[in-house]
Amino acid sequence: MSKNQDFVIKALYVVSWFIFIGLCIESGALIFNFTYAIVNPIAAQNIYKGLDLSVLHQKQFAHFIGLMSFIVVISTLKAYLFYLVVKIFMKLNFVKPFSAEIARLIEKISLEVFSIAIVGILAKQYTKKLVELGYDISFANEYWSDTGAFLMMAAIVYVIAQIFKRGIELQNENDLTV
Amino acid sequence: MMAKRKMSLNELSEKVGLTLSNLSILKTGKAKAIRFTTLESICKVLDCQPGDILEFELDKR
Repeated sequence: MSKNQDFVIKALYVVSWFIFIGLCIESGALIFNFTYAIVNPIAAQNIYKGLDLSVLHQKQFAHFIGLMSFIVVISTLKAYLFYLVVKIFMKLNFVKPFSAEIARLIEKISLEVFSIAIVGILAKQYTKKLVELGYDISFANEYWSDTGAFLMMAAIVYVIAQIFKRGIELQNENDLTV
Repeated sequence: MMAKRKMSLNELSEKVGLTLSNLSILKTGKAKAIRFTTLESICKVLDCQPGDILEFELDKR
């Protein structure tokens, strides 16, 4: 591996750690504020970065729980996704890159991305229904605005996982060629 | 063939230039493929034909 590639891999590793920590903080804050808002309605005015769901909390508490659950689930799934990405960087070995563990992690990532996309699509539909009911919650859309990209990414990562599995077979064959 | 030539695995490994672990992979039948160069050097050292050291067996799996 060239020095340039080594630098890029290390940089990506550091960046994915930062993103993972950021997402953990975000989902932690969301979970804490959500539980706090259930007990104390004033907290619903600013749940996270100006997310104001106080009207929904007052008028339709069940929908408040539903919407917040979507937001919490998506942010937790995103944090877990980056946990898997960090794990891949930790296990990556460029001398023997095709290991069963990395293939399993890549497949897990594709499944994870796919579930984020599916939950995002469901949340989008749910928000649409709430908007039809007359609630202004368009600002919550930022949590699931990128579902299309996630769906596309899931497909690409799945294909990469299958190619990686073939790579393992080839590497095993190469190892057993005398 | 090794017994006929009274050659040990260590000796063969030295003369052919293969590691002991690779020779053991060959001997136990775990190898998926063999390079022509490896086959050539084994035949040269053992003074035999490929047919003397290779045998076809039906895969029982």
